[in-house]
Parts: sequence; structure tokens; C-alpha cells
Amino acid sequence: MGDALVQDLISDLPESIIESILTRLPIRDAVRTSILSSKWRYKWASITQLVFDDRCVTLRSDRALVEKSLIDFITKALFLHKGPIHKFQLSTWYLQNCSDIDQWLLFLSRNDIKELVLVLEEEEGEGELFRVPASLFHCKKLTRLDLFRCELDPPLTFKGFSYLNSLTLHQVLVAPDVIESLISGCPLLENLAISYFDSLALNIKAPNLKFLFLEGEFKDIKLENTPLLVAMSVDMYMTEDNAEHFEQSSSCNFVKFLGGVPLLEKLIGRVYFTKYLSIGYDLGKLLVTYEHLKVIELNQVCFEDRKEIYVVLRLIMSSPNLTELQISGPTNAVDFVIALEASDLKFWEKEGLSKYSFEKLKLVRMTCMSGVPHEMEFIKFLLSRSPVLETMSVAPCSLCTIARRLNMLTELVKFRRASPQAEIVFTHE
Amino acid sequence: MSEGVMAVVKPEMKSYIWLQTADGSIQQVEEEVAMFCPMICREVINTGMGSSKNYAISLPQRVNPAILGLILDYCRFHQVPGRSNKERKTYDEKFIRMDTKKLCELTSAADSLQLKPLVDLTSRALARIIEGKTPEEIRETFHLPDDLTEEEKLEPLRNITDDPRIRLLNRLYARKRKELKEREKLKNIEVEEERVDERSVEDLLTFINGGDGESKGARSNKSKKKNRRRKDQIKNSSNDINGNHNKELDDLSFHDGSVNNMASPSKTSKLQDSTAVSYSPKLDFDDVDIDDDLDPAMKEELDREVEDFARRLNSDWPERMQEILSLGQERRLVPVSNGNGSQRYNSLDRR
Repeated sequence: MGDALVQDLISDLPESIIESILTRLPIRDAVRTSILSSKWRYKWASITQLVFDDRCVTLRSDRALVEKSLIDFITKALFLHKGPIHKFQLSTWYLQNCSDIDQWLLFLSRNDIKELVLVLEEEEGEGELFRVPASLFHCKKLTRLDLFRCELDPPLTFKGFSYLNSLTLHQVLVAPDVIESLISGCPLLENLAISYFDSLALNIKAPNLKFLFLEGEFKDIKLENTPLLVAMSVDMYMTEDNAEHFEQSSSCNFVKFLGGVPLLEKLIGRVYFTKYLSIGYDLGKLLVTYEHLKVIELNQVCFEDRKEIYVVLRLIMSSPNLTELQISGPTNAVDFVIALEASDLKFWEKEGLSKYSFEKLKLVRMTCMSGVPHEMEFIKFLLSRSPVLETMSVAPCSLCTIARRLNMLTELVKFRRASPQAEIVFTHE
Repeated sequence: MSEGVMAVVKPEMKSYIWLQTADGSIQQVEEEVAMFCPMICREVINTGMGSSKNYAISLPQRVNPAILGLILDYCRFHQVPGRSNKERKTYDEKFIRMDTKKLCELTSAADSLQLKPLVDLTSRALARIIEGKTPEEIRETFHLPDDLTEEEKLEPLRNITDDPRIRLLNRLYARKRKELKEREKLKNIEVEEERVDERSVEDLLTFINGGDGESKGARSNKSKKKNRRRKDQIKNSSNDINGNHNKELDDLSFHDGSVNNMASPSKTSKLQDSTAVSYSPKLDFDDVDIDDDLDPAMKEELDREVEDFARRLNSDWPERMQEILSLGQERRLVPVSNGNGSQRYNSLDRR
């Protein structure tokens, strides 16, 4: 075939490069390389990362057939594989409660598996969850675990994964105390993402945690021991019953959540986050200064609730190095009641506020604004106290009438600016 | 003259590193550019080489001058700290456009200089080239020899071995197995109920899990009460050594992983799901004994023979195959010239 003098270009590259190339191919193409030439026969069989998804098999309308061929493919690939498997990822819409997965996990637990990702999607999102077998908990070397739509029930002897660095649980059925002990049993945990939970009450003790992502209906969250936290993103959904339950609680949520994160650099709080923080809020003295907090994003802040305003103020005033602030108002604020007591507005002229200066604040984005007095006062406050501000962008929410927008614009123009280079950008959609 | 101007422009303070490629040619490179390569960086720091022409750093063999030029261009661009990610990506995309041969050489060279970002970039490019192509196209692109037999290409996913000789053996075994099954069926019809597997799931699992990694060795006798009756049925096993002996071989899976196509006889097929069943000597479970239809003395002997065979299979392939093939069909027992004493193996290809 071809010129006898033409050299084989690729087969003799170092193994690490071949692995690098093969792992960048979809697994099906990688396996296919076995028929290229005699040297390539088993090159694919020693790659340490196996990523399976529905592209591995030809998709047909007969679901059972696709399921079978996918199971066959994965089983054969695992069987023919030799050497350690460091990463195994399976994302599929076709396998739900499949006993073959148990066997694969057993096999992997014996092959030094380090990263395990199981994403078992289902169209309705309603089907039975995959019950994770005990062999998963024998994977001592696990550094990353991502589970999607599974049921976790570790054996009583399970203490945790000593090397686990990243844990993601999405729509996972598991007892709350189990999650807590799982988290605290993983001393090296740095990334934690928990989403789609119902009424979860969690006490997070993770001394090395750096990144936290929470999304769901949380009943009660406490960051008990997370001194190294660098970034957090919380989407907190709260039902009416939860909210009532909180009103009675005596402890301050702000402190529970943000009391022990001095190294925080980025904070994103969506949906009811600010409301959650405002519960149990007290106007006590500032406890923590967030020296490193540079970016704050808060969604659905209701400026008609004084407590929420206090939360926002406290947050931004405890962050001397804040550079970027993004606030959006509630999306369902249908009735713009402007009938607030006059005395309320006087609060903005208080001593503590008028003396404060945001030394590093450069960018402020206010979206979904409805033009209520407190919103405007807040913007006024920021403008007058930010000497290096570059951009103040204000976008009214879509329900605002033209008249209202005009009103907002008129007020904005009047505000004094502390920063000579500040630009006010009114996004008129 | 412009040259004079250039000479003035080059400040004296700029320092250079001297590099020597495998072909002997030496060139000087700006220090910050060269130091972007970890391997060069290490050389300079550890050995102090590279400061002058006489002490040029010898680059690995895989780096030829043309490729070195490319690598240095890459380094020159990326070592500038102020560039945005977008700029870097755009540069990379353009940089990677070259013919396949050069790309492979570049990958190899970058790897030897331990320049990981470039290795990643080139690997990605090579993967993109391979992805979606048919095998012929890939062979064409990389000049790969088409040296697999048609058979080998046929079912790559199922054939764990690349050895056609083992495949041949398997076929012979399969034939033997079949004939054995026929014989058994006739004998065991009455004992059908007893062959129902009464083991619990736990035991099965224990067997599967416990069965791995056990060493090959002489199996000790396990006469099971359950199966004693069956043994009586197969009384003529002593006369039909070859038959049963082959059956035993069937249950083996050679531990060096070279054979996996052995389908097991029906009663153990349940157990051979996803694990390559290894040859399990006496184990602690009470219910299972793969070869419980042979009496103990026979077993011992067969164990030894099997071991012999396995050893030989691994050692002198060419001679063995010669023999087996030359014996052809319809052969009777022929003494093995190997000196191991056993004379039974050649009956494999009896039919």
C-alpha cells in the first residue's frame, strides 16, 4: 500500500500522545482505530478515560434495541480494556434502572477508578432512579463523582472518600444526614454542587471547600465549616411554607450562610437568596469583612422589603474590594405600590451610609428595575459613593410603562456622581 | 543601511540562549522565548548551559531545525503575558494549519520538549483529523500499513487476541465441546432436576467475585453429594479420558488473557457472565464444582495435564502448532515429543 519508503507518521509516537489523541476522539472512533493496522490493534484498549454516551450506537426508534446495543457496546469495551481506568463517564437517555450498570461499577471499582460520571437522563424526569450499588463505595481512589438521577444508600461502614475532590449530586435521592456525613467524610473536597433537592436541610462541614453550587428547595443551610470558600452560587427556591417556618427561627440566616467565609471572592445568589438571608436578620455590628469579595450578583431582590435592603447593604459594605455588582429586581413585581412611608426614605440619609465609600467599585448593573423609590435611592447612594465607578447600567423591567421609564430616567439624570468617568447607561428595551 | 539600524535597535541587555539540534546546527534564541519550554528552562537552571555557542543546549533528537522554528514561533507568541484568551485561541487555530506529516513531527517534538500546551493543541488537531474518517482514509492520511488479515478486521470488538493460532485452537475446542455435549445429554437426561441451580444469588456472586485471581494449580477433589449420582452416571469417564479432559480444558480460561472465546458448557454458563472465569481451584463455596462429574483420581491427573498444557501453550508456540496442524483430522493418539510425558493432548483434533 503506497510507497514502501513512506514512513508511518503516527504509530510510533509516544504512548502518552497516542492516549492524548485517542481520548479526544469519541469512544466509537477510538475503538475503530483497532482495525487500522497491527500496531493500532490494542492502542485504544489501554486508554485511561472512557466516555460513553448515546452517540456510541446508532439510534433507532426501537428503544429496547438501542438500550441493548448500548449495553453491549459498553460491556464489550470494558471487557476488552486492559489496564487502569481513571475516568468513566456515561451519559444516556436510554438506560434507566439497568442491572448492567451495577456490573460495570463493580469492574471499575477494581480498576482504580478516579473520576466517575453517571448521567442517567429520562424524558419525563419521572422514572425510577438508579440505585447505586455498594461497589461504588469501594472505589477508594475516587477524586470526582457526578451523579445524576440516582439513589444513594451507602453501607453503614462507609466513612467517605478520602481523595474526593469534586462531588456533584443532581436529583439524587439520599437521606440528608447521609449527604452531611458524605461531605464531612471527604476531607479533600473542594467542589460541591447539589441541585434539585426538595426541602433539604444541610450543615456543610468541608474544611477545604472552595466552590459551592446549590440549587433547589433548601429548608435550612448552614455553612458550618467552610473557611476556604472562594466562590458560591446559590439558587434558592423557597415555597411559602418554608418561608413561614423561617420567620419563627431565631438564628440569623445571614450569619449562618456568610458568617464563616472570609476568603470569598465571588457570590451569586439567585431567586430567593436575598430573602433567605434576610430572615432572622439583625442590625448588629459587622462580623466579617470580605476582603477578597470582588463580584456580587444578587437576583430577585425586592427593594420594598426593608430587610432585604439591609442584607444587600450589609453585604456590599463589608466588601471593601468590591469591583462588580449586579442586582436584579423581582420579575413578578406586578403592582408597583409606591405608597411607602416617607420616613423610610430618610433611612438613606443616615450617618453610616453617607460616610461610606466604595473605593473599588467599577461596574454596577441594575436589571429588572421597576422604579420604586428605594431602588432609585439605592442607585443614588451608589453613584454618590463610588469614586472610581465607570459604568452604571440600569435596565427597567419589561412591565414598565413608557411613562414610568421616563420617570426613572428623569430621576437618574439628577443624581450626583462621585466619579468623573461614570457613565449611566439606561437600557431601553 | 537597514542592517546598521537593526544592529542599533538590538539592545546589549537582551540575552540569548544557544540551542543545538540533533543535526549539529546551532542557533540562538531570545531568552524569554526559549525559557517558555520547560525542558530548556530546566537545562538552563540546572546545568547553566546555553549561555554561549560552545555550550549550546542539545535538543532531543526529535527536534529538527524546521520544527524548532515552528515551536519557537509558538513560544514567542504565547510567552507575552498581556494577550487575551481570544487572541491566543485565534493564533492557535491558525498555527495548527499544516500538513499532517509536519503536525506529527511537531507533536513529537513538543512532547520531547515537554511543552504541554502545544502537545495538547497538536493532539487535538490530530484527533480532529482522525474523527469521522473511514479506516481507509485514516490509513491514507498517516501512511499506515494495511497489515491485518481480513478475519482480524471483521469483528475487532470481539476478538481479544491477535493470535490466529489461538483462534484455531478455539475452533478445535468448540468442536470437541459440541461432541461432548451430545454425549452428556444422552447420559444426564434422568438427572435433569438435580442440575437445577439451587444456589442462592449470594453464592453465585461470591463465586463470580471470589473466582477472580485465583491461581492455576492442581485442583483438589471436591466430591459433592449432590453430584455423586451424576458421577455414577458418567462411569465410563475413565475410558473416555480424552473427552472429559477436553471438557476440563473448556472450563479453563488461560490466565494470561489470551483466550476468551471459550464458551462454557451449559451448567457453568450462568456463572460466566461478565467475568473471564479463571481456573479456580478449591474454593470455599460448597455448591459449585465445575468438574464434578469426574472422580477424584482422574481429576488429579487431568489437573497436571492441564497445567502442562497451559505451560506449553505459553512457551513453544511454533512447534505445538506445527504438530497440531500436521496431525490433521482423524488422528489418533500420538506421543508428544516434548518430553512432558503426557500423551493425551493430541487428541484435540480428533475429529
